[in-house]
Amino acid sequence: MNALPTPPMQGPSPLRSAPATATGNRARERGAALALTVHVTLLLLVLGQIVYLASRHRTRVDLTSDSLWSTTESTRSLLGKLDKRLVIEAYFSPKEKLPVNLRETRVWADNFLDEMVQLGKGKVVVQRFDPNADKAIADRCQRIGVQQIDLRSSSSTSVSVDRHWQGLRLVYGGGKQKVIPQFGPTSSFVAEAALTPAVKEVTTETKHKFGYMEWPATAIGQQTPGGIGWNMLRTHEGITKRYEFQNLKDEDGALLPAEIKTLFLFRPKDLTDRQKYVLDQFVVGGGTLVVLADAAEYAIGPKRSFSKLPFTIDAAGSAFKFTEQLLHYGIDWKLKVLADLAQPAYMPRDRMTGAYEYLAVPQQSMLGMVLQWQPYPYFFHAVAQDWKVAADDLAKDEHGKVDTELAAQYRKLFVPGMPSDDFLFAPFKKIGRGPGFYWPTWVGLRQRTGGVLDLPQGIDGRVLLWSSPAVLVEDPPQSLDPLGSTDARARLENLQKFNTKLMERFRGEPRQQAPLMVDVRGKFTSFFAGAERPKRPSEIKEEEAKKAEAAAKEKEAEAKPGETPEKPGEKTAEKPGEKPAEKPAEKTAAKPNPDEIGPKPPVTDNMLTEAPPEPAMRTGGDVPGRIVVIGDADFLRDDLVRGDYRQAGGPVSINGPPFFSQLLDWLAEDRDLVALQSRIPEDRTLKFVDTEATPNMDTRLSEQTLAGKTNLLVTLNVAVPCALLALFGLLIFGVRRAQKRSFLASSTQ
Amino acid sequence: MRETLVVFRRELKSYFLSPIAYVFGILFLVVVLYFASLSSLVQGSQASMQPFFGLLPIVFLIFLPALTMRLWAEERKLGTIELLMTFPVRSSQLVLGKFTAALAYLAFVLVLTLGLPLTLGAYGRIDWPPVVGAYTASLLFAGSFVAVGMFWSSVTRDQIIAMLLSFGSLIVLYALGYPVLIELLAGWLPAVVVDLLNGISPYKYFESIARGIIDTRDVVYFACFCGFFLYANALVLRVRRLKG
Repeated sequence: MNALPTPPMQGPSPLRSAPATATGNRARERGAALALTVHVTLLLLVLGQIVYLASRHRTRVDLTSDSLWSTTESTRSLLGKLDKRLVIEAYFSPKEKLPVNLRETRVWADNFLDEMVQLGKGKVVVQRFDPNADKAIADRCQRIGVQQIDLRSSSSTSVSVDRHWQGLRLVYGGGKQKVIPQFGPTSSFVAEAALTPAVKEVTTETKHKFGYMEWPATAIGQQTPGGIGWNMLRTHEGITKRYEFQNLKDEDGALLPAEIKTLFLFRPKDLTDRQKYVLDQFVVGGGTLVVLADAAEYAIGPKRSFSKLPFTIDAAGSAFKFTEQLLHYGIDWKLKVLADLAQPAYMPRDRMTGAYEYLAVPQQSMLGMVLQWQPYPYFFHAVAQDWKVAADDLAKDEHGKVDTELAAQYRKLFVPGMPSDDFLFAPFKKIGRGPGFYWPTWVGLRQRTGGVLDLPQGIDGRVLLWSSPAVLVEDPPQSLDPLGSTDARARLENLQKFNTKLMERFRGEPRQQAPLMVDVRGKFTSFFAGAERPKRPSEIKEEEAKKAEAAAKEKEAEAKPGETPEKPGEKTAEKPGEKPAEKPAEKTAAKPNPDEIGPKPPVTDNMLTEAPPEPAMRTGGDVPGRIVVIGDADFLRDDLVRGDYRQAGGPVSINGPPFFSQLLDWLAEDRDLVALQSRIPEDRTLKFVDTEATPNMDTRLSEQTLAGKTNLLVTLNVAVPCALLALFGLLIFGVRRAQKRSFLASSTQ
Repeated sequence: MRETLVVFRRELKSYFLSPIAYVFGILFLVVVLYFASLSSLVQGSQASMQPFFGLLPIVFLIFLPALTMRLWAEERKLGTIELLMTFPVRSSQLVLGKFTAALAYLAFVLVLTLGLPLTLGAYGRIDWPPVVGAYTASLLFAGSFVAVGMFWSSVTRDQIIAMLLSFGSLIVLYALGYPVLIELLAGWLPAVVVDLLNGISPYKYFESIARGIIDTRDVVYFACFCGFFLYANALVLRVRRLKG
């Protein structure tokens, strides 16, 4: 043993302070025991007090990269902005009487409410009520909508139902209120996700209003009358509580009301010239137009036929094309369908549990019937990666040799799939991908030949989402069904053939990235400037009626020539079969000169009883407008959002709803819940076997490979540390033995 | 400090020179790594060390009394404690030296489990900061168990009794952090007492740090908990010293 240092001075001890007289051995022992007890008790009290104080004044550091256990900036800023008192009435039955599972949630609820009080800086007050203690409170709970939780408990002799309460009512400034009937968070994350939007809801004075026009999809093999629209999302509680939607698809093509600042077009089709004019005047007037565009409509239905349905963007007899109108504003919408052949683009986020996101086929496995994901490049998403990295791969020839010149060219050309830093994309960038699109179309910026941007003067534009450089662009084919059979084996063979054909095309076509979403802003000029203003259907009807009336009068006059003398020229001007000429006053009222922005047309007697005259055409904007075009509308379709085809193997739009919700916030520039919505934990999925690299690998073989690798990893993880420890031990024993031997040898010498 | 360091070195050396430590280490590693690997290394699951850190308190509960039982009881049994007491070292320094040596040994064993997070990191994106936090929490948690085990070892001469006493007290402390038991107690104890009992369980504080939150409350608790039992241990030694 090592030499020990000199003895230190012993400090005062309660044990030493006991008297050491010869007569008082017993008394000394008693005194020592008493001193010891007092000492330990005091120590316990002091330590208890320290722990208590530490729990009252604590500091937390959340080490998780995703800040899973911390309040987000959303909650902090919302509570920091309160200008009135927010009362949170907590209808909680006593904690000690709660069953275990509820008690855990109570801890989280209490902690989160305490945190809200602290963040509220006096503006947040939590009032606690026990409905079990007072019938009046229980009655109030039922009146306002707080729900009781009835749980059955039984003993050997009795069965009883225990009533518990754990609901909240938020009252802001004594006015707006919101009830959370049952509040049982299992973590601070869940507590925040429930409470912060509720706070936002009660503190929002006025709802942002969105207008919309929709053209429902055709329902295939379903009972849904009138097709499939976009109601599912618009009417979602989380959205309707914060935003208001107004249907503005007016059959008469009235101009949009001034209070509408943003208008959604859910898959425009059969657009009349008048509707196009309404949209034109809206964007020229400074409105924000959001178009969810599709180049074609494909049937889905439970049988997933994927065949093209009759679909035209412009109504029959239109003089103006909507694509040309968008091109005028700087947006190039090519009526093409896109397929992205880069694997990260068409891979569902979770192949194990969310194989139905794009296309899966039910297959028999050892675990029963499972959905097996299948590659189908017409369903894909933008990938949050800089595609420059793929330049070398894409510049390889058939023998795998990289064409360095071509690769350098690609490096210049290729851009990141999600180049924007807007908060709309923040949560999606976190998961490395954008929302899934289904048969998307090309929506980019207007360009001259040679790829040079050609935006109108005073207009700025940017592409927000790009496909990968492995995209195929084509006119919408009649069928995009990759399976084409009910027989399982035939389906897979068909799918393989389908994808082989795509690969063949891929080899023969140049590499390019397709734009999937654009945002264009600035002072737009009217697409209709210089042209005649398209009339409203009612105007056309009215004119026709007037013409018919005039014709009838003329006919009558012809029958009675003496009563209404006609000017000689009038009769000759009208030829049989020709439309009657309009009266000058009518012409002024119904068709103002498109360039005329000034005095109102003279008021006729007829107009005094009708709606006020439409304002003259705006040819140029004084206020900047905005157009956002997304190259897909299917991802927000009710049937895809609802998951109608989940059992059949998809598609199901998993990321569509959060994207739409974020889109609304982005358009309304409401950043309050951004931090909360972008709180998506990073994907940390384990992949021992990269099944993505070999998508057509036999299932059984794939399972065997996986099981083999997992077993090997488990064995290595257990055996290697044990072996290391054992080796270390052997090494120590070896050294010790050698030391012993040499010692013995030296001592014998 | 110097004295503590001397005791620490002596104790640590004795760990690595004794085959028991290796047997203990290998058994501990096999149990904890086997079950944690089975739960963690699953294709498609998230790269998380939660199964490992969830299992650790139970494994500590079983293994640590076996490790700590010999700390004082063996010295008493072999009679080396008398020799130790004659050394010019304070009782508190002796206790602290033995305690830190036990912790260092446990830290060494825990380091050997790093293969699991490395594997998870190789096949998925493991979040390292909470893992580091959880390892620290595990050491603090182990420290509290070692402190309790050492205390019981100082009280009795028999190693088995020391082990049973520490196992019993640790299981009670551990269970007090469990909601099921607390619910049972809530039926016939006042709420204040139930909360107090729940508040003394190290498990409750371990959960928080193991999730990736460093909370001053938890750190203070572990410091106080270990401090109390180590102090009690030192008191027992002083009494023995006085009694001669």
